[in-house]
Amino acid sequence: MKTRVTDIIIVGGGAAGTYTALCLKKAGIEPLILAKGLIGKSGASIFAGNLNLHGHVFGGNDEEAAAMRDYIVRWYNHYLIDQDYVLKGERWTEEVYYPELEEAGLYFRRDDQGKIVTSYGLARGAALKQQGQSGILLMDLRRKQVRQSGIETLQETAVTKLVQNDRGEVVGVVALHCPTGDIYFIRARRGVVIATGPADRLASRATGTREQSGDGLALTYRAGGELLNLEIQWWHASDFKWPPCWQRMHVYPNPLVGTKETARMYNSDGEQFFDQSTDAPNSYAPYPTQLKRLAEQVANGKADLNGRYFTGYDHIEPEALRNYARQLKAFEKVGLQAETARVETATTWHYRQGGINTNPHTMETNVAGLYVAGPVGGHNNGSLGYTTYDAYLCAETIKNKAEMTALPNGSDFVAEAERARVTGLLRMLPLNGVSPISVKTKIRDLMYDKMGFIKTKQGMESALEEIGRIREEDTLRMGLNNLSLNENFGWLDALDVYNMLDTCEVTIRSALNRKESRGPFYRTDYPDVDNENWLAKNIIFKHRNGGFEFRTEPYKLPYYRPDFKREKYLDVLW
Amino acid sequence: MGKIGHDFDPLSSRYLGRIEAHDSNEDRLNQLKVGDFVTAQISRFDPAVDTKPYFETYRVPYVKWMRVLDVLIYVSETLGIEYAHRWYCGVKKCGTCAVRVNGREMLSCWEPALPDMVIEPLRHLPLVRDLIVDREPYERRVMELKPLLVRTKPYLGLPEPITDREMRAASYAMDCINCMACFSACPVLDLGDQTDFSGPAPLVQLAQVALDRRDGMDRSVLIKNTASIFECVSCYRCEEVCPVEIPIVSRVIEPLKALAFATKPAENKHQSAFLDIVNSRGRIDPSALILKTQGLRAVLNPARAIRLWIKGKISPVQTFFGSAVPGIEYVRRLFSDVKGAL
Repeated sequence: MKTRVTDIIIVGGGAAGTYTALCLKKAGIEPLILAKGLIGKSGASIFAGNLNLHGHVFGGNDEEAAAMRDYIVRWYNHYLIDQDYVLKGERWTEEVYYPELEEAGLYFRRDDQGKIVTSYGLARGAALKQQGQSGILLMDLRRKQVRQSGIETLQETAVTKLVQNDRGEVVGVVALHCPTGDIYFIRARRGVVIATGPADRLASRATGTREQSGDGLALTYRAGGELLNLEIQWWHASDFKWPPCWQRMHVYPNPLVGTKETARMYNSDGEQFFDQSTDAPNSYAPYPTQLKRLAEQVANGKADLNGRYFTGYDHIEPEALRNYARQLKAFEKVGLQAETARVETATTWHYRQGGINTNPHTMETNVAGLYVAGPVGGHNNGSLGYTTYDAYLCAETIKNKAEMTALPNGSDFVAEAERARVTGLLRMLPLNGVSPISVKTKIRDLMYDKMGFIKTKQGMESALEEIGRIREEDTLRMGLNNLSLNENFGWLDALDVYNMLDTCEVTIRSALNRKESRGPFYRTDYPDVDNENWLAKNIIFKHRNGGFEFRTEPYKLPYYRPDFKREKYLDVLW
Repeated sequence: MGKIGHDFDPLSSRYLGRIEAHDSNEDRLNQLKVGDFVTAQISRFDPAVDTKPYFETYRVPYVKWMRVLDVLIYVSETLGIEYAHRWYCGVKKCGTCAVRVNGREMLSCWEPALPDMVIEPLRHLPLVRDLIVDREPYERRVMELKPLLVRTKPYLGLPEPITDREMRAASYAMDCINCMACFSACPVLDLGDQTDFSGPAPLVQLAQVALDRRDGMDRSVLIKNTASIFECVSCYRCEEVCPVEIPIVSRVIEPLKALAFATKPAENKHQSAFLDIVNSRGRIDPSALILKTQGLRAVLNPARAIRLWIKGKISPVQTFFGSAVPGIEYVRRLFSDVKGAL
């Protein structure tokens, strides 16, 4: 086992992880970024098509600032958010974040007169160069900044365990470096930051990138961290059904740049059932509203969650559509014209609103030495501005904390046991064995079928049973055809299976525990939005005896509160 | 910005190769229908046991609009074959899944599957395993070219005064997703250690800032020396394979050459010699060009000179005894019309 020592370990190489590292490096604290994929190339950040414009940036007026705030609190987080955090983050993105991006050379798209091009509607968005491209360009910049500043990185490296000392403080990690098969025990004088993002690939259709298997949540949970609102799972309702690898190809239902029109959705009879510009004009990303209208079509037999409904831009003026080149290219590439064609779409597991229970003002968790940056915290859904604000807060907290004095007692033993577990998974396929990838596929299929957008009590309970069965039976029979140490994805898959099982299990249990429907979370046995009892954190954590424990904690609502106590879920727009 | 309605403009030089090879998007689509099978030969290599790569063949049922990546994912996730291939997003954002299919570089998530495919890793980078190459040498090259904006005037605050038109020159290069398809396709990089050429993609990365009018750094030395841009032969292979359709030669390499040339024309030996020869003879003369740019170095390798001579690449007789083409006066008039050409 290789060993290393650093000041702080950052798990994740997206918008949050890289910015935390850059801030700390500037302050003289040595970060080490561990990315399961490649920095700036894997994870959720590259999927951010636009930048939300918070506050009064680019000449926004009070009404527009209020509309974006309303979007963040109500439409994007369904009141499950700290409202002071929303206000502070808004000011920070306006004063620090956007200027930093532009000074570094990113190009907020303008017109030929030099005016910033924004989306239509009160809640505004702007694009870096072109709609759909913003996250790619941001992460391209961060990737280069990380290299230029000499920050240490280990890429294609999966963290398999958070190592704690006998006081319970997180003092390091064990990690597998996939290109070489080396297992590392890395100690960190100031702790570990989890920055693994809001996405994971736990369902057979998911926007989470290839490597994502709920690791940040599983690692934290096993270290005694609290997780909250895991059931509030977002879905894309209008992603290409075919080809299979385009399950993340979004036909944006959001406001478009340069036109008042938005994409329209049609059922199997060709009847239109959703158009954001008329059905949810105040929502900047109307995905839950889309889902509710889709649920009605599914109930009438005119669509399935997995297809048999269509989305298109075919009613939009062609000149406006040209601003949208990236999406149009997708149509062309399969032989369709976006001006005339509607494409079959299906639901795709998207960002998770919940996550690690995080103090939104310090990015601390309930585990000493364990911090969060970005939307893997359950304090906010993902967006690049707030994600970067989190990174700033996290770096500030770490700067002001002293190094942990003593290196851990007994942690060598813990790390050695973990090395043995990881090495043990590099084993040949036994007779009647199963490959780890087939176990992953089985988990994803059952999550898509039984934990899809429309949830029933029976479905959730049977999902939980199946997860238990896979844990008890399939994992024991796992083995590989190939014991190569280099880029052995089968070995990585075997590690992923355990994280996926843990994350799926706590997700299903959390869903069963929230006895209402809200935002993108819909269970047919509790079909009301219940603001009396469930404007609350739904917190799950590991009991000392190994079982699960829940607690709830109400949100404070100092500035914004919903205007009803209880309403039918499908009648509530947000 | 993108032209809609066609995957490519048939008049554009960059797609001539595809058209000639009957390999346009239209040609690739509709070769298969649901129920057919795709035959994929996938290159395998494990450094611990193999001395060289070999192929394994798989049959995969075709599904609607299937991409090359869908075939690869089927082999790994459904057939359970643990070969190594890197991909993350599946929708042309991450730029990590590029491979060579039947000898042509492509982003596997973006191109349609074909009935018979030979799938190999990218070239010009160390092979790690199966279809995975080591990206590190490429990333180092990019960083050597200092691809971050350097402001010499103070940044005046958000939003800075600039128009879309003013950003256009740099904007083409901003589409680059670092997939390295062009880096693999570039024939100049076949020369390996014999060339200092950085390759097309690193130049695209450099162009993002060098062609940005907000950038204040003099990048001519980087362009000429570090990137050795004049070793580019303008063959358009890079444009042909670029999945995000960057006009790499016309909107990246040519403007960078112009930038480097404009700064200090006298230092651009290759360019000046090229123009001198055309001005005096009306056509390019390879051996004269080699003599003028390499001087004595060219004569020090007589074996190579003889090989070039035998293959008809150079003609010393023409160089020393040939005369100008008929109508040379028209060529020279062009030179005198274009201010600063010589």
